[in-house]
Amino acid sequence: MDEIHDADCGCQEYNELSRRQFVSSAAGIGAAAMFPAWLPKIVMSKNFASNRDVIVSIFQRGGADGLSIVVPFADANYYSSRPTIAIPQPDASSPNKGINLDGFFMFPQAMAGLVPAFQAQDLLVVHATGQLNVSRSHFDAQRYMEVGKPVDPSLVTGWLGRHLASIPPLDPTAPLRAIGVANGLQKTLVGGPKTLPIADPTNYTIGGSTTTQAARIAFLQNEYAAADEPVHSAALDATNTIGLLKAVNFTGYVPANGVVYPTSSFGRALRSVAVLIKNNVGIEAAQVDIGNWDTHSAQDPIAGSMFKTMQDFSNSIAAFYADVVTTGYPVTLVSVSEFGRNVRENGSQGTDHGRGTVMFALGKGISGGRVLTKNWPGLARENLEAGQDLKVTVDYRDILSEIVQKRLANPNLDFVFPSWSPSFLGVTR
Amino acid sequence: MRTTERTTVPTTNPTVDDRGSSAECERPSRRSFVFFAAAAAAALVPGAASAQAPRRRRAIVSAQSPEPSDAFPMVMPNESVGVFAEWDSSVGRLARRLSYGITAGDVTQANALGYDGYLEQQLNYTRIDDSLVESHVAQTWPLLTQTSDQLFSANQGTLETQLRESTIYRAAFSQRQLYQRMVELWSDHFNQDFDKVGYLLAADQRDVIRKHAMGRFPDLLKASAHSASMMVYLDQNTSRSGAPNQNYAREIMELHTLSVNGPYTQDDVAELSRVLTGWTIQGRGNFVFNPAIHDWNAKTVLGVNIPAGSPSLGAAGINEGEQMLNVLATHPSTARFIATKMLSWLLTPAPTDDQVSTVASVYRATGGDIKAMIRVILNESWVSAAPLKLKRPFHYLVSALRSANPTIAALTPLTNQLTTLGHPIFSWDTPDGFPDKIEYWAGNIVPRWAFGTTMANFNSTTTVQLDTSPYRAGSPDAAIELIDQNFFGGEMLTSTKTALTAYLKAGTFTDARVRETIALAIDSNGFQWY
Repeated sequence: MDEIHDADCGCQEYNELSRRQFVSSAAGIGAAAMFPAWLPKIVMSKNFASNRDVIVSIFQRGGADGLSIVVPFADANYYSSRPTIAIPQPDASSPNKGINLDGFFMFPQAMAGLVPAFQAQDLLVVHATGQLNVSRSHFDAQRYMEVGKPVDPSLVTGWLGRHLASIPPLDPTAPLRAIGVANGLQKTLVGGPKTLPIADPTNYTIGGSTTTQAARIAFLQNEYAAADEPVHSAALDATNTIGLLKAVNFTGYVPANGVVYPTSSFGRALRSVAVLIKNNVGIEAAQVDIGNWDTHSAQDPIAGSMFKTMQDFSNSIAAFYADVVTTGYPVTLVSVSEFGRNVRENGSQGTDHGRGTVMFALGKGISGGRVLTKNWPGLARENLEAGQDLKVTVDYRDILSEIVQKRLANPNLDFVFPSWSPSFLGVTR
Repeated sequence: MRTTERTTVPTTNPTVDDRGSSAECERPSRRSFVFFAAAAAAALVPGAASAQAPRRRRAIVSAQSPEPSDAFPMVMPNESVGVFAEWDSSVGRLARRLSYGITAGDVTQANALGYDGYLEQQLNYTRIDDSLVESHVAQTWPLLTQTSDQLFSANQGTLETQLRESTIYRAAFSQRQLYQRMVELWSDHFNQDFDKVGYLLAADQRDVIRKHAMGRFPDLLKASAHSASMMVYLDQNTSRSGAPNQNYAREIMELHTLSVNGPYTQDDVAELSRVLTGWTIQGRGNFVFNPAIHDWNAKTVLGVNIPAGSPSLGAAGINEGEQMLNVLATHPSTARFIATKMLSWLLTPAPTDDQVSTVASVYRATGGDIKAMIRVILNESWVSAAPLKLKRPFHYLVSALRSANPTIAALTPLTNQLTTLGHPIFSWDTPDGFPDKIEYWAGNIVPRWAFGTTMANFNSTTTVQLDTSPYRAGSPDAAIELIDQNFFGGEMLTSTKTALTAYLKAGTFTDARVRETIALAIDSNGFQWY
């Protein structure tokens, strides 16, 4: 690690310089000046450009029931707490029996797609994880998880946005550094330079006559040159990205290893991300969401609603793994959810909002093939938070911090996760 | 929230606003950052700088706090976008605030009535004759007036289409513009997803949202709490004594009344869920209280003790829940939350504490009279000082439709466009409703631009037809003037007008070129805001 620059400039001057730099890079010029002569106290790894993973960040929205996704079958309290929605043990005769991971935890059949990655030690499960800050509100819990600092309403940027802002671009000429595969920008990415929400990268055009398209885009660039932020940057980045995505062949893409992505929106999103990564367009981060985890009623992780959601989740990631990770592209994938669910099921064959849940980390740089726990708290009633929930024993920022520093080569953790002193738990190899 | 199958889940929006203390200059403040953004960017675009630089904006006090470290440049959310210098009429600004986009006709009418007269006219919406629109709605989308019992056997896709098309049509062409804007607000506040609730949503829209959109908030809340659609959406219909479902009990406090800031605890959620056991549906979708599944034991919610009852009380068991609805409806936190929500919707993304307190006091004094709150929110002083808001896609689409005023045989292509734009009404799956945050929508700009192209090129006698002959009847300059009148109420940005004129004149004055020019007007910066 080298400290390469220290600029202590005045407020206004700083802004002018930083903005000019930013705009020039956004316009695709001034690449040579991209080395951050203006950055105050930036610290970076010497070999950042050659040893950085692309990050695919997944949010399981709705509060995913970690106890159904990675089941602690050896804890008898699991079965007594869930009379109608428990997964049978691995040695059961039922075809719905779980898949033993380590003698204590198992996957349900719906998660079978991820067994190869787990066996190859590329998939790490973290259990009893989440946010130390107690919130059972979806919207508060998602918000603070995405900004990366609990209960600070003044912080509006996301952790991944701040990561991108605090490290030089992987490719200074790239018009698009990060994509949120969504109609609107996820909070995780807010603040990121050259970052856009694009729900459908395969159809990114302003339409109309191809003859006049260049002139119309020029009109729009001019039109938005003085627009207010964040519309200004969005417009500039968008006009530059139209050409980029037009040059990428999404529809004709053939995944490696005969992989077939699920046709769900999550599967299609990961397929699009794979295309961008493999086309080497300079994409550094992608945020992809998958919903339907708010299983208040008729949860049915064996054959019903949650089974289908888990199967979509696991099969889509498994496709991405076989297509991109096993073929040598430097990628780390990580998933979070805002909270888990009550240990005991409710009267609707569902579960209400809880606390601890699971995270996944996937990649050749991940020390996988195991379920990482820190003093597994267990499911006995006396060990539950508020008498009802799996405790959070690992703050999700510990997992993300290690990935940001070791896989994304960004040492500015106090900027990415303000006021957090992470403990590295051996997530990466 | 929903639990049924679905593959697309958009992100959510917190219910707490993002404001903090004002910025200090030891860090680069967002305001100065934005200033340099404009200046630096303009310098890079030939011909832009001279036109843009002088027209800058009255100053808006920044309500944004600094990030904990500003060591790195970031594109920050912005809640204080200054008003365009061209938008100097306060009546025009009011018209933008309470409508889905102003046209020349709106400006004429508003000017004739004056600021207060125009506001009062829109507030007293039942006195505005809207019979042309309503008779068209009744003829074209007949399922809307049917009961849930009837709609049970209707084609669900047809019903969803009728809900969407009629909502677009009313928003665009109703003379009761403020009322339609309030319908949109409450549809998000009490959001439900058609994919989960199906035909039940029609009755909710009709008998809850549209019935009470300009009435008293407590009545709106209570109607929602007696809506079969809401019971299903938040799983209340599956809750029963001994194993209550907490979904609705939580969201009615977090999202509908008190806000996430409470004050309520997890215990209050659990206790309220017990109070509400028995609130369910029967038959093909009618609300009912079922005493057989009600929890009759004593409860304490928000410090209110509800003594143990007895199954012999039967239907009177509903009174426990009614009592708690009154507690919630009259709670000071509800007054503040609803005040904040209405201020954010109608006036500014970042209302001040003083504004919230003022409007909340109106709530308390009037029993939650929505009209009385609007009257205060849209006072001339506040409207004149308010920053711009970015149109959400529905607003953007409807305003383009109002301005273009095409001949409509079928609205099908426009409902499809709502999906493309990322704003398919009645399909936001989480109970917080579609976001109204600039940082969420700002990046979704290419679909907006594509919509401008689509809108301007509608030329089908069987769906939507935009006749360009009025624009081509005179000179190119006259065409630009007509675009200004129809799409900007005569207040098109000067720089846009210059560039648009140049674009039109750079080609031959054909139907295609005129349509491209209209598309670019819809795509332009000035058309994205209100």
